[in-house]
Amino acid sequence: MTRALRSAVLVAGLALGVFSLAVARGGAGYSFGGSSAFAGAAELAAGYALLAVGFTAWMRPRQARLGVILVAASFAWFLLEWSNPAAGSVVFTTGLVLYAAAPPLVAHAMLAYPDGRVGWWLGRLALALGYAGSVLVLGLLAAAVFDPASEGCAQCPRNLLLVAGGSSNAYGSVNRAGVYLGLAWSLLVILLAAGGLVRSTPARRRQAAPVVVAGCAYLGLVAAEFARSLHRGFLGTEGLDRRLWLGEAAALCVLSLAAVWAWVRARRTRSALARLVIELAESPPPGGLRDVLAGVLHDRSLVLAYPFADGSLADARCRAVELTGEITPIVRGGQQVALLSHRPGLLAEPALAEEVAAAARLALENERLQAEARFQLEELRASRFRIVQSGDAERRRLVRDLHDGAQQRLVTLSLALRLARARLGRDPELALAGRIDQAEAELRAALADLRELAQGIFPVILAEEGLSAAVEALAEAAPIPLEITTLPDERLGSSVEATAYFVVSEAVRRCAAGTLKVSAARRNGRLVVEVEGDSAPAEITDLQDRVGALDGSVAVVHGPDGRTILQAEIPCEW
Amino acid sequence: MRVVIADDEVLLRDGLDRLLTEAGFDVVGKAGTAGELRREVELGRPDVAIVDIKMPPTHTDEGLVAAREIRASHPDVGVLVLSHYLESHYAMRLLEQHPGGVGYLLKERVSGVGVLADALDRVHEGECVVDPTIVSRLLRRARPASALGQLTGREREVLALMAEGRSNKGICERLFLGPKTVEGHVRNIFTKLGLGESADDHRRVLAVLSYLRSTPQQA
Repeated sequence: MTRALRSAVLVAGLALGVFSLAVARGGAGYSFGGSSAFAGAAELAAGYALLAVGFTAWMRPRQARLGVILVAASFAWFLLEWSNPAAGSVVFTTGLVLYAAAPPLVAHAMLAYPDGRVGWWLGRLALALGYAGSVLVLGLLAAAVFDPASEGCAQCPRNLLLVAGGSSNAYGSVNRAGVYLGLAWSLLVILLAAGGLVRSTPARRRQAAPVVVAGCAYLGLVAAEFARSLHRGFLGTEGLDRRLWLGEAAALCVLSLAAVWAWVRARRTRSALARLVIELAESPPPGGLRDVLAGVLHDRSLVLAYPFADGSLADARCRAVELTGEITPIVRGGQQVALLSHRPGLLAEPALAEEVAAAARLALENERLQAEARFQLEELRASRFRIVQSGDAERRRLVRDLHDGAQQRLVTLSLALRLARARLGRDPELALAGRIDQAEAELRAALADLRELAQGIFPVILAEEGLSAAVEALAEAAPIPLEITTLPDERLGSSVEATAYFVVSEAVRRCAAGTLKVSAARRNGRLVVEVEGDSAPAEITDLQDRVGALDGSVAVVHGPDGRTILQAEIPCEW
Repeated sequence: MRVVIADDEVLLRDGLDRLLTEAGFDVVGKAGTAGELRREVELGRPDVAIVDIKMPPTHTDEGLVAAREIRASHPDVGVLVLSHYLESHYAMRLLEQHPGGVGYLLKERVSGVGVLADALDRVHEGECVVDPTIVSRLLRRARPASALGQLTGREREVLALMAEGRSNKGICERLFLGPKTVEGHVRNIFTKLGLGESADDHRRVLAVLSYLRSTPQQA
């Protein structure tokens, strides 16, 4: 239905152009387009350009309103020629009413560009004034009181709208009022359009500027025509009027081209987005989507962030991101899949954000899932680290309690026993003295056991003196010889030291015979611990768990001489 | 002999006071913190300060730090550090700071008045003292075949006593040997271990302990 209507309107518009030119040529002296072949060509060019752009816009879902306005403007552009005395009375009367309808329609299209809506009340008021001045005052009202005969137009056909014989006075006053009003509203619209352009976002300005500038040029020429007509009281078709009209035709052609240019540019962005889809289909590197989007949208400051369930934001590499400036959500299926922070106004048009979402949909989803997986992995790692850390802290506390509590008490107790024994020395009851000696021996054994227990839980020397001292102390008590080649001079993070010590002490514990060669050295921000022996421990899962909690790795490497090396790498940043 | 006792455990401090007093020592001051210890040393002018390795506030190595300070500010005051820790690392830290007039004993030694009195005497005389348990642990440690294996039983005994910080004279007394015999053993030991002989007893302790603590590369 709409399609049929659109086609009918298109055919009508094309026919209207030809017909109007014929009318103009019929009374060339009273016309613009009929005066010369060039003027005729200009007439058709401007009208058909508006018609074509309007028709195209009408077919675009988001610009249909704008299209209708532009098509109407192209019709009005042709109707200017109908108020020609050489035309029939129906055509003539129609021309009388609508000959000045083109300027408010073009102004409307300009203010409503690109989506067909005028959001600003002042803009709507100016347009209302424009329609009222052009169609109502200069058109209907003037036609109602225009008697061609009394105005000296003998060859004019009958004015079908003439009421009660007409009045030359009234006709003059109405025309004058229309001209004044015309000058006022056309200047007002130019001001509003220019002001709107200045106030709008850079992206919108880039998009709308060509159309608005051309529209303002057209309205400027219209305003000049109104200004020129002030003293004579009506719009004419004399020499300067014709030149102004030619200028208007040129401005309308430029306006049409500007609208086409905006489409071409949008199409270019879209095809860049389409390329993006293809590029991204080939396994994008993390962070790649951001770079590609920044390239396509010409905004190097662009930041792409993914929202996670806990409300935090992170980029594709799972680094926490804080978005500043203008933020556009990328929505899919009612759910925010990503947030873009960008140059102000870059994605002011909702359509562009939607197109970005559509083009990059799969890649965005993919990258978001990857980032989410990374995020969860990171969470998991942090959680593992916290578990290890709190376990270490707990063991350190336990050992401290053993030393400061039980051990201290036992020493004090043995001292008390010694004092009691000393008193007893002068006493003849030797059996009791023997028993006290026995108790003292038990106490010494208990102290030794306690020391060993504490050592096994968490060596104090590791916490207080560091990894190197602790490994050396381990070598003092180990059941097999330890050959220590290198140890770090510096202190490292307590979790790093505890983990490295755990690796060495477990390797020692699991080694049945032979000599172990131990080294620990800092290389490229990682502590590399190596324990070389005749054979590797059969089971290293617990070592992997422990080292993995710090994002490190454990592996068994076979040396050239048949020896095996248990190798752990622990990042030092903890 | 005038003694100051520093330990934050009141019961132990008082017990030690009684024990030493009964053994004939003159306890001239008692302290619970490193600050109090400094004051007691300043006022009491003791011959030796007995210092717990852990004291407030951090309960880590305040005793070692205080020992260094006292040895530096009062060279005539010896320091005997009592510790729960068997690791030779702490003893080395103490000896490396000031090799003479210091001692490192395990805390449970307080119940053996003989060992304690001996250590106090030696520290007072400017020797250094390393707990025998620590030395025997170092001697017993697992190591690949090394020069230590070439020592005779007697030489091992002499080596242990040297590591405990004893002078030749002390070794003579302990092993009931003549000075010439001990000197011969010491020379043999240093030759076999490849150590440069040192006239200074203090340096000798450090050299022997370092040798025992090191992990000789496998042949």
